[in-house]
Amino acid sequence: MSVEAQQGIATPRIPAGLGGLLPALMLIGLFFVVPVLALLLRSVTDPAPGLQNYAALLGDGTYARVFFNTFLVAAVVTIVTVLVAFPVAWMLAIMPPALASILFGIIILSMWTNLLTRTYAWMVLLQRTGVINRALMGAGIIDQPLPLINNLTGVTIGMVYIMLPFMILPLVGTLRAIDPMTLRAAALCGASPLAAFRRILLPLSLPGIAAGGLMVFVMSLGYFVTPALLGGTSNMMLAEMIAQMIQSLLNWGLGSAAAFVLLVVTMALYALQLRLVGARRTTGGA
Amino acid sequence: MLLDYDRLGWLKVVLLAFTTLVAAFLLLPVVFIVLLSFGSSRWLAFPPPGWTLKWYQELFADPSWIEAALTSARIATMTAILAVAIGLLASFALVRGQFGGREILRGLLLTPMVLPVVVFAIAIYAFFLRLGLGGTTVGFVVAHTVLALPFAIIPIATALEGFDKSIEDAAIVCGASPLQAKFRITLPSIRIGIFSAAIFSFLASWDEVVVAIFMASPTLQTLPVKIWGSLRSDLTPVIAAASSLLVALTLALMIVTALLRRKLQT
Repeated sequence: MSVEAQQGIATPRIPAGLGGLLPALMLIGLFFVVPVLALLLRSVTDPAPGLQNYAALLGDGTYARVFFNTFLVAAVVTIVTVLVAFPVAWMLAIMPPALASILFGIIILSMWTNLLTRTYAWMVLLQRTGVINRALMGAGIIDQPLPLINNLTGVTIGMVYIMLPFMILPLVGTLRAIDPMTLRAAALCGASPLAAFRRILLPLSLPGIAAGGLMVFVMSLGYFVTPALLGGTSNMMLAEMIAQMIQSLLNWGLGSAAAFVLLVVTMALYALQLRLVGARRTTGGA
Repeated sequence: MLLDYDRLGWLKVVLLAFTTLVAAFLLLPVVFIVLLSFGSSRWLAFPPPGWTLKWYQELFADPSWIEAALTSARIATMTAILAVAIGLLASFALVRGQFGGREILRGLLLTPMVLPVVVFAIAIYAFFLRLGLGGTTVGFVVAHTVLALPFAIIPIATALEGFDKSIEDAAIVCGASPLQAKFRITLPSIRIGIFSAAIFSFLASWDEVVVAIFMASPTLQTLPVKIWGSLRSDLTPVIAAASSLLVALTLALMIVTALLRRKLQT
């Protein structure tokens, strides 16, 4: 509906229609923007005015390792999620509707199940004496339990599990929007399946992969619960460090500075993601 | 041929096998937790040496679990009502309003969804400490409504964008007042969006852990906080029993959603 079409019908209402936004803007302004800005202010005033919190954060090797770990985990999780999600989304996009709706049901069930429930299940499954280690030992594949929890492996499994639906579902949309004729044409012209995949299917789904992957990366960067429960102390992530600085160490200055670093990185990547999705929409609509 | 299900050949077998594996991976924790909750081993041995209901008895015998669940239900219900009401008003303004900067305002209202929750959690925690709202029901509801608002606005605004406004105008031409037309024509037409908004904002609060960990007080605990506390101390099977009930609730919500959608669409 264009603006002219809406203006053409003269229904009496508040000219700008801004009134309806007031409650939402008051809520977000007062209880979101103000507290976040106050936190930012605290990072440069607590305990004394200045940038010493940021200097401490960026100058210390311990914190540098946390930053590095955070990016490492987010990157590993994103790559694994993309690799696992793509074939599933591909099948979902073309499989018979009855089969697809069962698969969608499973995905939604896992996505809607309480986050702590899912993480608890992985804690039990992955522990030293857990089902997975016992099964592997029972099958004679290993004779020592594998360290699957409190390390990068545990965090990756738990996080990929949570992120998969966020990658699969949008990717199905991207893949469904591709015209199967383009691939039939490629086959007719003699392209091998591998060539058709590499030169047609993959490039056409790349915008969806990039947008979904970036979203998974951004979400992983700031994740708190799963890394805190499945990760180890040697590979702590940023969100957990922030929570610890505030809750256990009561170091508000340093904690809010770290929070602000996380905010800036997240928002910058989010802006990039919006541009990617926006670009896809305009090209898709043309 | 790669997008023709029936002409994939051997590739179809490989892809289907992989997809089945991933589906099993997605189901594994959910099924496992339910089985575990009926297992008799306190040390979570699996497969369990026997079957029992004692973890459920222990769960229901402990008033702190019941109280936490009721607190969560209360806070999530209030959050859903507030988020849908505020989100409904905001969606009308965002979709139909004629003012500059609509996209920016929409972006602002959706920001709580993308900002890492831990950042918001410590910000609102500090803010509420100063206002004396920390550890109160009001504090919980306000903080959760901020987080739930995007999940209310997105489905309602999407439904409203798909609704042909000339139907509402026709009602007005036929003598309905603008308010009557909204209540009797527009709102019923976008009810699927409103319904999804209610479910999503309820879940946004019901499942919320991070803000709750900071805000909780010894006298006011939500269910996720209770589970979090138990998880950090030991992995007792009582958590599995509580978790299984949450899985049952999720399944119930999914079925209700599917049924209502079918009913509302016809």
